[in-house]
Amino acid sequence: MKIKLQPPLAITLLILGFFVFVPMISAFEYSIRTPLTGGYGWTHYIWAVTEEDFLHYILRSMWLAGVTVLITLFVLVPTLTWLHLSNSKVRGIIDGLSLLPLVIPVVAFAVGAQISFPEFVQNTVLELPFLYFVLALPYAYRALDIGLSAIPLKTITEAARSSGADWLRTITSVIVPVIRGAVMATIALTFALSLGEYTLTVLLHWDTFPTWVTYVAQENILGAIAISMMSLILPFLILTIITLFVPERSTQGRK
Amino acid sequence: MSSKSLTLSNISKRFGSVTALDNFNLEVGVGELVALLGPSGCGKTTALRVVAGLEHQDNGTVLVADKNISEVPAHKRNMGMVFQAYSLFPNLTVEENVAFGLQMRKVNKTSRLKKAHELLDLVGLDSQSKRFTHQLSGGQQQRVALARALAFEPEILLLDEPLSALDAQVRVNLREEIRRLQLSLGTTTLFVTHDQEEAMSISDRVGVMNNGVLEQIDTPDALYNKPSSSFVAGFVGTMNRIPAQIADGMVEIFGSKIAALKRGNESGQVIALIRPESISVIADSATPNAKVLTRSFMGASSNIVCQTADGTIVQSLMTSASTGDLHPGSSVQLRVLSSEVLVANA
Repeated sequence: MKIKLQPPLAITLLILGFFVFVPMISAFEYSIRTPLTGGYGWTHYIWAVTEEDFLHYILRSMWLAGVTVLITLFVLVPTLTWLHLSNSKVRGIIDGLSLLPLVIPVVAFAVGAQISFPEFVQNTVLELPFLYFVLALPYAYRALDIGLSAIPLKTITEAARSSGADWLRTITSVIVPVIRGAVMATIALTFALSLGEYTLTVLLHWDTFPTWVTYVAQENILGAIAISMMSLILPFLILTIITLFVPERSTQGRK
Repeated sequence: MSSKSLTLSNISKRFGSVTALDNFNLEVGVGELVALLGPSGCGKTTALRVVAGLEHQDNGTVLVADKNISEVPAHKRNMGMVFQAYSLFPNLTVEENVAFGLQMRKVNKTSRLKKAHELLDLVGLDSQSKRFTHQLSGGQQQRVALARALAFEPEILLLDEPLSALDAQVRVNLREEIRRLQLSLGTTTLFVTHDQEEAMSISDRVGVMNNGVLEQIDTPDALYNKPSSSFVAGFVGTMNRIPAQIADGMVEIFGSKIAALKRGNESGQVIALIRPESISVIADSATPNAKVLTRSFMGASSNIVCQTADGTIVQSLMTSASTGDLHPGSSVQLRVLSSEVLVANA
């Protein structure tokens, strides 16, 4: 199919290309340079994956990101379902509140957490997924909100309940599969944001993959870039795998 | 047969300042199909939703076979429901949709699919069982919804204006299909509609609602011929409202005296309520009492609209064969064919 390049699309692609792809391609080109021989090679990538802490930190970050995704879905899907069904005025307030993490500087957030959280919370790395959840809230909330707005939620919920499904089954067997696209988008956004979160993590003195990469960069900048390139590809790979494992069901053409 | 009787007693439900149901009472016998008919906002859908457990009444009780289910949550009520809007689960195939209720009841896959196919066969859609719901027409979707509501053998079937989103021809076919299925399965059914033709054509009894109360509940014949209130008379079918004088139980209409049926003033000015088919229009240029305004040909019958000398508009429904010489502007004589007429206060 021939796609006609309309001016607005061309401008978007141009800006995107210049500010996203050019730096990325340059970084990649830089990461495969071998200064000693003057050519190209995978030296830094091999160095990175054989570095003993690589696996430790990447697994830790993925694990934290996974927990964040679970918290996000567990909290937001029932809450948003309720907000949509109840048609309550609270929804407008919650809509506004969910945007706050975009406005509050992460530094303020981190300092506030350090001052106010009890010690037992600050002593466990599990404080991070909850804080990541808050940081991802504006995006996750909107993704799910759009998904729920696009379906006849009230009718299918009532159809499920009158067919004998309790609230839990209604959410897990009907609502979540029907808004599968929005749920996948939420998983992707939350996972990627958690995996790459740096400022909050470092301010709360935790070590995760991004903080480790900056540490590595101090002694091997090319190796750090190689690691970053891999960490860029990794979420894509994981999300592709998730998408492949969740069977595609037809949800188009809703009336 | 798992069908049970349904009793609503003294149900009240308010939404803010609006009273949707006001001490509402209704009884539906085992295997009976009762329609609730009324203008929008009369509370008929609220009544159905209270039965389904989707709305909680402020007062009153819901009994199914004398068991109080007023506090039972919707998913435990065992009531099949068909909605006005298309309500099929878009992520499931037709057969999975129909089997959904059985899946929730932990029936094993083989049995529930077998049952789903039986029901799909009953609604004539077994060949579509593997399709997704968006691949079906509106009428087919409502058939699947009906199969889904019946698959788990509900004690009561609830139909919330299931035909109102469909085309005229599909509506007629599907309503007859609903009745056929309901009779063959013997399912107690409560059917909410604002379409009187729909209600009258397939129901055992029709309840006419207005402002949250049941004005009258009766067989379609009785409702049409012996409406208990002026509202019911006006709402069910077409009714001419002709100003007339009453004296000694007789009403004078178009120059002849006819016995008045109950209600209304004993003497003085009243409104006579007369069905169009009870009025005949005869071409008469010698002693006319009205003029023809329009004649609408509808096949076997024709609808003649006339205006009397005092300006009253009167509708008549006659066989087309007898209206050949009636044209707009013709001078005619109107006559009341029935021996009794309903009257209401003017």
